Amino acid sequence: MFREAAARMTLAVILLGLPVGIIGYRYVLEPTLNAESIFEVQAYAPERGGFSPAAIRVDAGEQVTLRFTSMDVTHGVAIGPGLDINLGHIDPGEQRQISLTFDEPGTYTYYCTTWCSPDHWRMRGIIEVRDPQNNNAASQIQPDPVIERLIEEGIDIDAVHTGSADHEDNILFELTSAARGSELIDSVVVPDELREIDWLRTHTPAESLTILSALNTSHSEAELRDVIAYLWTANSTYTADTVQTYNQNCAACHGESGNAEGLAAALTAEEPAAFGDPAYMFSMRPDVLYAKIRRGGMGTDMPNFGTLFTREETWALVDYLWSLAFEPELNE
Amino acid sequence: MLDQKRHVDLLTTFPSLKRLLRSRSFQPGMMLLTLFVFTLVILTGLFGTPVGSRNFGIIFVWIVWWGLLIIMLVPFLGRFWCSICPIPAPGEWLQRRNIITKRLPKLRTLNKRWPRQLKNMWLQNFGFLGVALFSVIILTRPQVSAWLLLSFILLGVVLSVFYKNRVFCRYVCPVGGFIGLYSMVSPLEVRVNDPNVCLTHTSKDCVTGNEYGYGCPWMVYPGKLNRNIDCGMCMECLKTCPKNNIALNMRPFGTDLTIQKEHRLDEAYKAFIMLACALVYSVVLLGPWGELKNAANMQSIPHWLVYATSFLTFVLVLVPSVFGAFSAASWLLMKRTLPLRQVFIDFAYTLVPMGLAAWVAFSLGFVLVNGSYALSVLSDPFGWGWNLFNTVDVPWVPAAPQLIAFLQTGVLVAGLLFSVQTGYKIAREQMKLHRKAFAVMLPNSVFLILVTLAFMWLYLG
Ligand code: SF4
Ligand code: SF4
Repeated sequence: MFREAAARMTLAVILLGLPVGIIGYRYVLEPTLNAESIFEVQAYAPERGGFSPAAIRVDAGEQVTLRFTSMDVTHGVAIGPGLDINLGHIDPGEQRQISLTFDEPGTYTYYCTTWCSPDHWRMRGIIEVRDPQNNNAASQIQPDPVIERLIEEGIDIDAVHTGSADHEDNILFELTSAARGSELIDSVVVPDELREIDWLRTHTPAESLTILSALNTSHSEAELRDVIAYLWTANSTYTADTVQTYNQNCAACHGESGNAEGLAAALTAEEPAAFGDPAYMFSMRPDVLYAKIRRGGMGTDMPNFGTLFTREETWALVDYLWSLAFEPELNE
Repeated sequence: MLDQKRHVDLLTTFPSLKRLLRSRSFQPGMMLLTLFVFTLVILTGLFGTPVGSRNFGIIFVWIVWWGLLIIMLVPFLGRFWCSICPIPAPGEWLQRRNIITKRLPKLRTLNKRWPRQLKNMWLQNFGFLGVALFSVIILTRPQVSAWLLLSFILLGVVLSVFYKNRVFCRYVCPVGGFIGLYSMVSPLEVRVNDPNVCLTHTSKDCVTGNEYGYGCPWMVYPGKLNRNIDCGMCMECLKTCPKNNIALNMRPFGTDLTIQKEHRLDEAYKAFIMLACALVYSVVLLGPWGELKNAANMQSIPHWLVYATSFLTFVLVLVPSVFGAFSAASWLLMKRTLPLRQVFIDFAYTLVPMGLAAWVAFSLGFVLVNGSYALSVLSDPFGWGWNLFNTVDVPWVPAAPQLIAFLQTGVLVAGLLFSVQTGYKIAREQMKLHRKAFAVMLPNSVFLILVTLAFMWLYLG
């Protein structure tokens, strides 16, 4: 009789206790113990739907947990702009979570940081952070003055840029070195304007070469290019984080060294830009690079990153591109 | 009759085993244990991560349980699994209104009669094919697996309300069918020590039940039991038999296969279905044709329909026809002394060791390769980020990858030899004379060799 009773008890525990316990713990107890809201986000490759859900609404100041599960292939998750949150790789079936509080209302983006499919860059989701005091205040998308000015100036951000096509020229350009430029800088006449960040950001190295050549007739063009390389990289703002950002988000096409030979380079509509090529970079303006990063490139498969990075982070990226071009020792 | 010298009764050899198996608590205890795992499988399937390789349900059912069943339990212990399987448990306990003790004189059911036309394996054959058609989906999606298993257990309960005994196990369960078929290979059997004792025992307690236990839940009369296929090894007869006449014998492998008078078309078809499915699975999952895998995975309905139609044609028509052609050759060689139908059915039983070997070889591949997932899902059964036993980060390590091909070859060759030997025994029974029997078995042996080569090519090629 005792054994029968014990068996029945066990049966009840198995058939009722186990389900009620586990489901209760997961869906009732756990959420009440942790006052924070938990968001489950499943990550599928974009052609299978991308992030699900692709939009989350939270209140500013509220503690939230975002739990990402990779459903098919290896993904990576980062959240931006300006949050410095990177969850790293998430293998199929793996789960990574982060608990955080958004202090400022606004729109944030969670995005994949691993080349997971040819449509990888589409893999994004939006976190809308509302102001709990002021529910109606729709977050305004601030126009970007840099891009506004380019448009006013009549610059075509999407114009096709090619470096000097001449083979011999390319070889000469390849030797451009900011390090050598730093040794030469004191022997060269440089107008103050050319050292100002606002001027540098709105002009091409080629333009400054014209100015410097006129003032420094005794220096060879190669020497002046080295000096220009120095000027363009002297006030660099990039950090180790910037390099990681570049490697995770840009290198799949543009290549880690900027050689435009990333894994996915062959799949894009247009050949990716080669930032490691000084000849190409000589005809580029930093603000155009900035605009391309933030706004994306029309018809080229260059995605927009304006929703992922802050303006400062974007400038740091642009600075890193100049280093790829002008500091050959970076890749050695 | 049976060659008694080659049978050893384990119950006399190991009295403690006999005590264990006679105890009314042992079987329900095991069933509660498996039911616990089963419930966890359903819960993880329904609520856990949809990623198969991280889900306890998928890993424990389709790798751990399947591997244990087909590689260990069926070949060596026959239907032992059926005696501890959780699926019929709730229904059985409901009929008995008790889990352990025997209290009621009769089972509580609506006492409906199971239709005569269904007292065979056909339902199980079609049930298995149904599951097989969707298997790629079932094997990878925890939710689908969970609903399927849940439907099995519910069907078990529903049937036990209407019909007495384990009707679900014996006539419906798609797994039970092939376990039964292949259990005939196993070296373990429940039999009576002396059939003559049964003949004279008028009350036949093993059929009617008594205060120590129920009448055979599998609707078998142990006194005439000569094949494993229908006996669920529940040991109820061991508890009821007042004459101490029940034995649990060790015996040579495959003894049941040559009992010709019991050979039936539904069982023959089970053998075709199982062998052909092993072949199809190997082709789909191991073969170099990704398209085929996608079609099986239901990427598009039209593709899947084509796949399903070819699958069924292959299994139900093509394999039996080709086999039939070889049987016809045997039939001509024996100068048509027996009906062709009988020759065909008899020889189909040679596919049993072969089919089992093919399944073992096929399963060895993915069980050894994916077995290490078991450790990590044990710690995080739902994929919710738990780490119960600190084994979540155990990396995926294929076990003995260099050995797999050797093991597979060994198993396939053993299966082939065993099948050829079975073929000879069957032919000998048909022809009596060694020379004639040898000639008659030859076409069958050629068929077996061709099938083995096909498997070898798939696994080693
Ligand atoms: S109860 Fe025992 S002796 Fe009697 S018929 Fe059954 S097995 Fe034979
Ligand atoms: S013959 Fe005995 S062991 Fe087999 S199913 Fe029946 S009662 Fe159970």
